[in-house]
Amino acid sequence: MPEQSVGGMDIEAVARRLDAAWEQRQPIMPLSESMVLTADQAYAVQTRWTELRQARGERVVGRKIGLTSRAIQQQLGVNEPDYGSLWESRYFPVVDGRVDVPADLFLQARVEGELAFLIGRSLREPGVTLQDVLAATEAVAAAIEIVDSRIADWRIKLADTVADNASYGGFTLGPWSRAMRNIDLRTVGMLLYHNGEPVVQGIGAAALGHPARAVAWLANKLISFGVSLEPGDIVLSGSLGPAIPIRTGDVFTLEMHGQPPLSMRFI
Amino acid sequence: MELSADALALLEDVRQARASRRMIVSHGDARSVDLAAAYAIQAALGEGLPVKGYKLGLLSSAKQAQMGIDSPIYGRIYPAMMLESPVRLTRFIQPRVEPELAAVLRAPLMPAATPGAAAAAIGGWFLGIDLLDSVWEGYRFSAAEVVADNSSGGGFLIGGRLIDQQPNGVLRLYLNGTLRAEGDLRALGDLHERLCWLATMVGGLSAGQVVFFGSPAAATPAEPGVLEVIGPGADCLIARLEAE
Repeated sequence: MPEQSVGGMDIEAVARRLDAAWEQRQPIMPLSESMVLTADQAYAVQTRWTELRQARGERVVGRKIGLTSRAIQQQLGVNEPDYGSLWESRYFPVVDGRVDVPADLFLQARVEGELAFLIGRSLREPGVTLQDVLAATEAVAAAIEIVDSRIADWRIKLADTVADNASYGGFTLGPWSRAMRNIDLRTVGMLLYHNGEPVVQGIGAAALGHPARAVAWLANKLISFGVSLEPGDIVLSGSLGPAIPIRTGDVFTLEMHGQPPLSMRFI
Repeated sequence: MELSADALALLEDVRQARASRRMIVSHGDARSVDLAAAYAIQAALGEGLPVKGYKLGLLSSAKQAQMGIDSPIYGRIYPAMMLESPVRLTRFIQPRVEPELAAVLRAPLMPAATPGAAAAAIGGWFLGIDLLDSVWEGYRFSAAEVVADNSSGGGFLIGGRLIDQQPNGVLRLYLNGTLRAEGDLRALGDLHERLCWLATMVGGLSAGQVVFFGSPAAATPAEPGVLEVIGPGADCLIARLEAE
């Protein structure tokens, strides 16, 4: 992981500000407006924040990849994705494909549909390709991700979202499918329903051209920080369409091709 | 391994031709270099580079007889040879394309492994394209010359769908919409046996390495445009080749 203190910047203090914002649901002004924060420093903040939470009992169950669509990359002026950690306290398991999630856990949450990978073999050698990822994948599942920002009004630049754990909010998963490893994930389609309206039409190729390419990017990025994807890690590979803002009472249903529907209600 | 004067001359020829992207003319059998020395040259030319995988070549016994050898040949795949579309043809000397099948290993495979161990080590099959390149003008070379030249290794493209079960059937290669090559995968022989042979030859394979199994069809010259490989199931690999 990146160093604890980079270039004299107070990594710890920034991590604590984000943690307070998360706990109190009170957004903060964009970090990038008040300080110079490089991407590496932002990852150091993110790592430190995760450590602070782990010290209080949080567990990391995997990773999420963000900024995987060309549109969002252009909007932020970047040419690569970013990643964050999946914190177990915000994993919402489904019962019969449905889950209720308290809306007041979040500041300004949005919902995305995507594919999750269950890693079956360590990816520790640099130069990981998307085919390596597929060969190392145990199973694939449909996933609803909740993204949220501790930065006021989502006024994020790259460093803001990286430090803010890649705007992680929470997630839920459909059943793990081994068969989904063998379908062409570029052409897998999905519909995300918002209160009965199919508002997002997504396709696998929307995540960096191929969801497994996003996972390969993550694997290589982690290796560059001296970390790796390991068996049992869950990876959310990036939204297949736009994120939809939530309100209390909203019902979202994700229909991923060939998979049972996945419903999330905000209560 | 100590290289003879002839082997050192071959090494220098290939090194310089690759570096300057110039063709050279085969010496035929005028130079006395055996296959072991040729593989030593191949290894020396890539010394220090991580090996991402291997390619197999000269799989048919007819081709082998033509070259005066009795086994396939292999070449090394270095990370920079794994390409993504679009591919610039200017990086090559005299590129040709072949439709192939590739496998990515999920477990190591020891030398002298059994075919069952090979099957268990395969993490998935993928369609592939071998973009061959050779320093030998017109691809006219001796067995030692082609092996020393990394078995005409150029670049590789690989499909995005993991095929769980070893595919059987015909591979077709289209260039700008025209069918240029097709061949039945059965022509490649038993691929698990091929993998065992390779593991023995190279002293073992490791997890994460990729193996291209050679083409069941003749190579065709690469040209700018759309390259499509259509596999037996519903598989396809589409790439763009660019002149500049």
